[in-house]
Amino acid sequence: MPQDMPPVGGYGAVQYKRNLPARGFRPATLLAISGGVIIFGWYKLIVGIREQNELAREKMWSRIHLIPLLQAEEDRDLVRRHLADQAREKKLLGENLKVYNSDRYVRPTFAITPGHTTK
Amino acid sequence: MSSRKPIFNQQVLYDTTPLPDSIPKVKELGASSAPLLSASFFIGARCKDYNDDFMKCKTENPGTGEFECLKEGRRITRCARSVIDDINKSCLDQFRAHWSCLDDNNHQLWQCRPAEWKLNKCVFENLKLVKEIPDQPKQSTPVHLRTKQIYAHKGIPIGTQPFIPPTTTS
Repeated sequence: MPQDMPPVGGYGAVQYKRNLPARGFRPATLLAISGGVIIFGWYKLIVGIREQNELAREKMWSRIHLIPLLQAEEDRDLVRRHLADQAREKKLLGENLKVYNSDRYVRPTFAITPGHTTK
Repeated sequence: MSSRKPIFNQQVLYDTTPLPDSIPKVKELGASSAPLLSASFFIGARCKDYNDDFMKCKTENPGTGEFECLKEGRRITRCARSVIDDINKSCLDQFRAHWSCLDDNNHQLWQCRPAEWKLNKCVFENLKLVKEIPDQPKQSTPVHLRTKQIYAHKGIPIGTQPFIPPTTTS
């Protein structure tokens, strides 16, 4: 049995490609444009981060300059309250009891209301 | 007292007993946060040695610094008070403009640069105190002298120049 063969001269060309003009930019151009956008974004980001770092440094130093005076004021208040507590304890109990087994100052966690205020 | 104010039955517990007479009295600073922030770099410029003394004393007396460092603490308060008083005397308008701006802008320093430059100029001319931020990168403009503050809501008006203190040639 004779086999089916292609026609003499071969088959005609199959049109798989649409006959339309290519639209838009070339891929290389698109790549370059997106690259440019990304680089610009990174540039702005880095500038912003550096500015934030400097602003944080400024804020930190302003606080560093203030901390000693705030702490001094707080310490004075603590000492005042502590001495008042001690005096009150002495008056009520006759002696000052050593509550903690250490000489460190322990910030009290509760407060006493004096019956009458002196100021 | 403790870090949280002791509150009992919706009443703040105040102990108003004053310090004993053996401890010298000092007038407290009495400034709120915005004026303090506004004047912080000038306080730092004038009172740096006192601040360092106090912090050194606190470091050397762990646990008892509250009692040992009262003297240094009084010095700091007096020094800071002198700075605030001097600014109030010579630069009241600029000072007030700056700290009201800070108060209105969430204490963000970058929102108030024009007011800050005016204050810095006045303070330099009258008190010879300079705002200086340590440890900045050498090659860039210090952040408080930049004419474009990228995080500010409002732009800086054209023609407003930052105050750059004349560098002393030494």
